[in-house]
Amino acid sequence: MIKFQINDQEVSAQPGWTVLETAREHNIHIPTLCYHEAVEPSGACRLCVVELKEGDWSKVVISCMYPVEEGLQVYTDSDKVKNVRRWILEMLLAQCPASVEIQALAAQYGVSGTRFEVHDADEQCILCGLCTRVCQQVVGADAISTVGRGVHKKIGAPYMEPSSACVACGSCVTVCPTGAMRQRLDSVRGVPKVNLAVNAR
Amino acid sequence: MQNGTKIGVFLCQCGNRIAPLVDLEGLKAKVDAEPLVDYCAIEPFPCLGPGLDKLRQTVQEQGLDRLVVAGCEARILLGKLERELLEVGLEEGQIDMVNLRGHVAQVSDLDGAAKAAKGFKLIKAAAAGMDALVPSLKEKVDFEGPAMILGGGIATYSAAQELSRREIDCILAVQTDEWEDEIRMLHEHYPGERHYYDRLEVIMREVDESPFVRRITVGELTGMTGRTGNYQVTFSDQIDGPPRVYEVGAIIACLDGQMLNQGTNFGHDGRNVICHTEAEEMLWTLGVPQGKVVFWINDYEAGHPEYSYLASRSAWAMARYMRERSPLTEVTIFYNHQMAIPLSAGERKASRELGIAWTAYDGALRPTVQSGYLTYCDPEDHLECELPWDKLILSPRRSVGHEAIKVAEVLGLDHVEGHFLEENKQRVRPEMVGRAETILAGSARYPCDLHEALRQGRRAAAGVAELVDQAKAGELYAPRMVCIVDQAKCIGCGLCKEICDCGGIEAVEGHGGNIPRHVDPMVCTGGGTCAAACPYHALTIQNNTSDQREARVAALARELAADEVLAFGCAWGGLAAADNAGVKGLKHDPRMYMLRVGCIGQLDPAVLARAFVEGANGLLLIGCPPEDCHHSYGLDHTWSRVNLMKKLLALCGFDRRRIALAHADLNEPEEYIATVESFVGLMAQLGPIERNQENREKLQGLYGTVNNARVRWVLGASLRRPWEEVYPGNQRNALTFDKDFMGVISEEFIRARVANLLASEPRPFQLEELADTLHEDEAPVMESLREMVGEGVIGRMHKDGVAQYVLRA
Repeated sequence: MIKFQINDQEVSAQPGWTVLETAREHNIHIPTLCYHEAVEPSGACRLCVVELKEGDWSKVVISCMYPVEEGLQVYTDSDKVKNVRRWILEMLLAQCPASVEIQALAAQYGVSGTRFEVHDADEQCILCGLCTRVCQQVVGADAISTVGRGVHKKIGAPYMEPSSACVACGSCVTVCPTGAMRQRLDSVRGVPKVNLAVNAR
Repeated sequence: MQNGTKIGVFLCQCGNRIAPLVDLEGLKAKVDAEPLVDYCAIEPFPCLGPGLDKLRQTVQEQGLDRLVVAGCEARILLGKLERELLEVGLEEGQIDMVNLRGHVAQVSDLDGAAKAAKGFKLIKAAAAGMDALVPSLKEKVDFEGPAMILGGGIATYSAAQELSRREIDCILAVQTDEWEDEIRMLHEHYPGERHYYDRLEVIMREVDESPFVRRITVGELTGMTGRTGNYQVTFSDQIDGPPRVYEVGAIIACLDGQMLNQGTNFGHDGRNVICHTEAEEMLWTLGVPQGKVVFWINDYEAGHPEYSYLASRSAWAMARYMRERSPLTEVTIFYNHQMAIPLSAGERKASRELGIAWTAYDGALRPTVQSGYLTYCDPEDHLECELPWDKLILSPRRSVGHEAIKVAEVLGLDHVEGHFLEENKQRVRPEMVGRAETILAGSARYPCDLHEALRQGRRAAAGVAELVDQAKAGELYAPRMVCIVDQAKCIGCGLCKEICDCGGIEAVEGHGGNIPRHVDPMVCTGGGTCAAACPYHALTIQNNTSDQREARVAALARELAADEVLAFGCAWGGLAAADNAGVKGLKHDPRMYMLRVGCIGQLDPAVLARAFVEGANGLLLIGCPPEDCHHSYGLDHTWSRVNLMKKLLALCGFDRRRIALAHADLNEPEEYIATVESFVGLMAQLGPIERNQENREKLQGLYGTVNNARVRWVLGASLRRPWEEVYPGNQRNALTFDKDFMGVISEEFIRARVANLLASEPRPFQLEELADTLHEDEAPVMESLREMVGEGVIGRMHKDGVAQYVLRA
């Protein structure tokens, strides 16, 4: 049994748990985007950051992958943490200005606009890669991946063409923290033979 | 606890996504009071490390053998729970999930207590389903005997090479004695591939010298029985000897497609206007022709633009061969301007240096053949031009040869007229199929070049090798949710085999024909429409049976209020759309209760009938969009089953609209909500079915009718077959069929009701009393009685000159 503190509250954990898991077990809220219970954490979105204090020294780490240690002093909502989250959200607002989910989250932290350059006003994808992890670890199909690097990184099937590896289960859409995968699904699974939505409109 | 099971229920708080919205304490109190459930607890996150530790501990402490986790989407999280709880003895199928978050908490404005009440009904249904589960034993798959490569396609050699490199014994069943002969005939299937022959010869020689490979020369493939790991393959002898039988562990079928010439189309005459195969034959025997040679890539005009790539590649290879050997021959490749020239930069350079002309024509206008000239329209200036030729070489027509089709049929691969043999059309998760790798290689699978055919052979062999390695290590298990046949009930009619095209159902050779059937668990995808169609209930999906679905639907239907609607959602369509609506928090009518089903085709009519018997007033089945069934034809078959139910509801005097089939695209949750709102609204308008004595008796009759073998037979005849191209089937003679169907249903409906009535009390009944109680005419009741007496189901005796009928024990 490992004992440590989250927000000055005494908590206990088993070796192998992460800070985020322990916090959730004790009903302490930490916001996440790229985290999903069904897959291994990857630490892509950095939104789950917490502050670890040791004496008068402190560091900011991601809680979804940080293993618990005896005597940790974790703060989930300190000024430092809030500041990092505001930066992340401001960058996300530039990356995916069309996402209502990100806008709502940003508003919670008092971020209303972004000072960064917006490249695509219709973008909703935060490039967290959760969809690709679900496709790999939950479905086992490995139909989508991130394509390209750095600023050219995108989510899609090889050659951006509908993939025969995709089983069209829609797991990626279900776990996507924004509406991005919904926009892209037809480019991965192919357009259904009878497209109900188009017929309805 | 009822059937000796110990069921545990875990309620998730899921941070702020369930806990504040649903009165979990109230819900727990209800679940605790439920006799089916042995243990209930509220957990913050049962899916995370701390929660899973607690789950494992509780399962062991309480001795639980079934779990219901009421949290989020089973589609996403059930796999993790199954994986994590395997070590405490819960196998796949022993855990069920209720989407409390997405179907209850997030999607309506009800208060916490009302949401708890809704959640309870869904949890109770899941627990009832778990209670009815009879878990199967884990089935190990072994490979007995070598792998066999048959069919005679060229991929035989790459497959054999791969297997021998992995040190797996294999038998090559071929029709030629020497491998050199096969190279000599290869151009008939793969023209213009001569540059590849050196490499092919290396492969063939390696296979020939390998100690793991045995080559046998056989006649036609005549039979295959058994299942993955243990097949019995029969060939006819090449000379009139007895049939030759081999016991093998795995089969790889290598089948090459057939190349036909263009017949009389495009001026084909077999001498000066020829096809690729004939051109290759000419190069082989007569050498390179002199004069002007034109390759016309006419696949666009022949209706198959997708083959133009292959045709132009082999034209390019032959053109190159000609120019390199005969500089006096002028070669032109004549192609539709819509086609991309399939050459690499290096090849373009070679083509320029060799002086091969690539001439494009405007695809809007079909070029015309005349003797010595081709008239075409220039795509640049739309001027009519003429291209002179001495030899005109056309693209071949590609198809699957008669022999390949015969082999495919024996192997249980469905062939649709005019299509290639692309195997395994099921679009399901890899974990649902035991044998994911295809066993089919070669251009009969789909048109391809030699390189691709060999690659397919290697891939098929690698798949087999992987399974053999797993089996050797003792780690190969068949998937648990697959069909099994109760051989005592199976009469070997073959209906299941005919309507299910996953290729898993095979006949067991027996006396007097092929009886009974059995299922290869490594091929079955657990779609289950075959099981729902079986007239004798001989076929079931183990760990996911119709009995479980009946138990689930009964438990839910008993709890539903008069204006509430029961629904089934297919994991690929309706359920996924509902999950996605839940994730988005889209509000919709909370009076809908959705049960999860793997494919809508798993729903036996008995399950649908049971819902109405137990108290449901409306039943909505939400599947995938038409033509999008992920298994075979689950959706199409459900259409027919719903149709049966509508007819029966009408016979009972209820509104036909109480059951409906709907389609949902998982990516369009708004459309799904429109479906739900509309159906729930309609049911509210119709009001409940009055549950009086007469209606209850009729519903029991309805339930009896859908379990009647004769009705199920006629229904089975109307289900869509793999060769029918339209949804939900060809509907040939639709009205005549409908009339006969209606006749059968009405007869059997009365018979079921008469039988129910006779069974209700252990005393003799008179015809008049029976007809009066059932409110039916005497004639049809008499007809049923006569039939049942004939079959010996009931006895007839006379008292005071009046016939009396009594059910035999």
